[in-house]
Amino acid sequence: MTAPVLKFESETAQSFLEEVMSRSGQNIIACYQCRRCAAGCPVGEETGYVTPDRLIRMILFGDREKALSNDLVWKCTSCYTCGTRCPNEIQTARITETLKQMSKEEHIAPLAPKVAAFHHAFLTSTRHLGRLNELEFMGLYEIKNTFKDLWHLNFKSLYNEGISQTKLGLAMTKNKRMHFLIEKVKGLSEIKRLYKKAKKKRDSKEILPDQG
Amino acid sequence: MEIGYFPGCTLHASSRLYDVQTKEVLGELGIDLRELEDWNCCGATSASKTDDFLAIALPARNLGIADASGLSEMVIPCSACYSRMLVAQSRMASNEKLKAEINEELSEKVKGDIKIRSILEVMIPKAESGELAEKATKKLKGLKPVCYYGCLQTRFPLDIPVPDDVENPQGMEILLKALGVKALDWSYKTDCCGASAAVNDADTAIRLMSRIFKDAVARGANCFVTTCPMCQLNMDAYQNDVGEACGISERLPVYFITELIGVAMGKPVKELQIDRHFVDAVGLLKELDLI
Ligand code: SF4
Ligand code: SF4
Repeated sequence: MTAPVLKFESETAQSFLEEVMSRSGQNIIACYQCRRCAAGCPVGEETGYVTPDRLIRMILFGDREKALSNDLVWKCTSCYTCGTRCPNEIQTARITETLKQMSKEEHIAPLAPKVAAFHHAFLTSTRHLGRLNELEFMGLYEIKNTFKDLWHLNFKSLYNEGISQTKLGLAMTKNKRMHFLIEKVKGLSEIKRLYKKAKKKRDSKEILPDQG
Repeated sequence: MEIGYFPGCTLHASSRLYDVQTKEVLGELGIDLRELEDWNCCGATSASKTDDFLAIALPARNLGIADASGLSEMVIPCSACYSRMLVAQSRMASNEKLKAEINEELSEKVKGDIKIRSILEVMIPKAESGELAEKATKKLKGLKPVCYYGCLQTRFPLDIPVPDDVENPQGMEILLKALGVKALDWSYKTDCCGASAAVNDADTAIRLMSRIFKDAVARGANCFVTTCPMCQLNMDAYQNDVGEACGISERLPVYFITELIGVAMGKPVKELQIDRHFVDAVGLLKELDLI
């Protein structure tokens, strides 16, 4: 798909680039646009014109708005294929992860709210018990989705979601893949302290180096 | 020989069968597993996608417990847990400040000694020494598997060494060869199944899985073999939707590597819980007269 022409934002380009580079730990300026990453990206057909190389281009040009909110940022599965093949060792998965976090900090509504709800529910459930409880997690995730769909009166989406998750749940139970035991970690206070520290770091925008 | 064992949340829930099989099969090979005490969730990709600190700190607590266990190595069958623990260990080794900050909150401090092993790394030496073939004597004739590794068995951040070939891994092929099975060549062994997208972005995941499924069928495979519980669950639970989406009526069972080894060891289906698949996994074994 043809990409729109990018405009170089001279005022903001450098600071944005520096922020993404230091937070993701990726040497974005080494990219020479060979597109090897794009050739192997499994979600390439789902993300319109935004391939890993073009996402990098957006960042280099300082197009903050587009870089923080596009399909690749939300559809990237962090499969690490692009980074494994990049001749300049640029791990785009780390860049999409960074951009997701930055867009959240800037209160930009996620392009894929279900993806955001999923990870939020996962980490909430893990915080609660120290281990992921699949039932609690799916419950939290569905509540968030349902609420959003009700709010927008999106009944079709509600219906489809209900059908697909019920189908999965029933099949899981039938095949004895569903387990109803609740496991709780004894050292839960340690986990809570780690979560607290994480929040402090998020709030103070502390950057952790070399996340590779 | 006793080694540490980190099952992770999935092996205690929807992939309990993998936990059961891992213990059965490794036990038979003389490897006793000591489950890590009071382990916690590694945060999986949810932490790595949304919180850089938790992505290291959650696995770190487990590493501290493992370091204090007195054991020298630990097996992690789940690919996601395996890769997250590798990353956490490596990040803390190269960043003293981060390590100190995390250790401050932990009762068992991370030293960084424990050797982290995938389930393949633990079994390959047993295949090479001939012990696996000795214990797994039933020939799995007629099985035409494609080995499906997915993402996290071999693709890590670039500074972490990969114990297999990144683009064309051979670990499962080596084990199957010891059982007298030749795995088929195919093009999608390390492609992504979509992982959590199956739940939160279903259309994308179905398209990703369709490509994988189509190639497996086109090559003439009669089953998948995998080590990753996420890949297993996705390719198994969503195969009907995937098959419908690409107009293929065949269904292929998706075995964990431990199931095939268990069968070759003569272990009963019920004990291995092979009857707990979404796509029937017992029928093919019966048809081929393997059970
Ligand atoms: S493979 Fe690397 S250098 Fe080539 S376009 Fe992609 S990110 Fe840039
Ligand atoms: S990590 Fe993301 S951007 Fe890179 S190949 Fe995988 S899906 Fe595409």
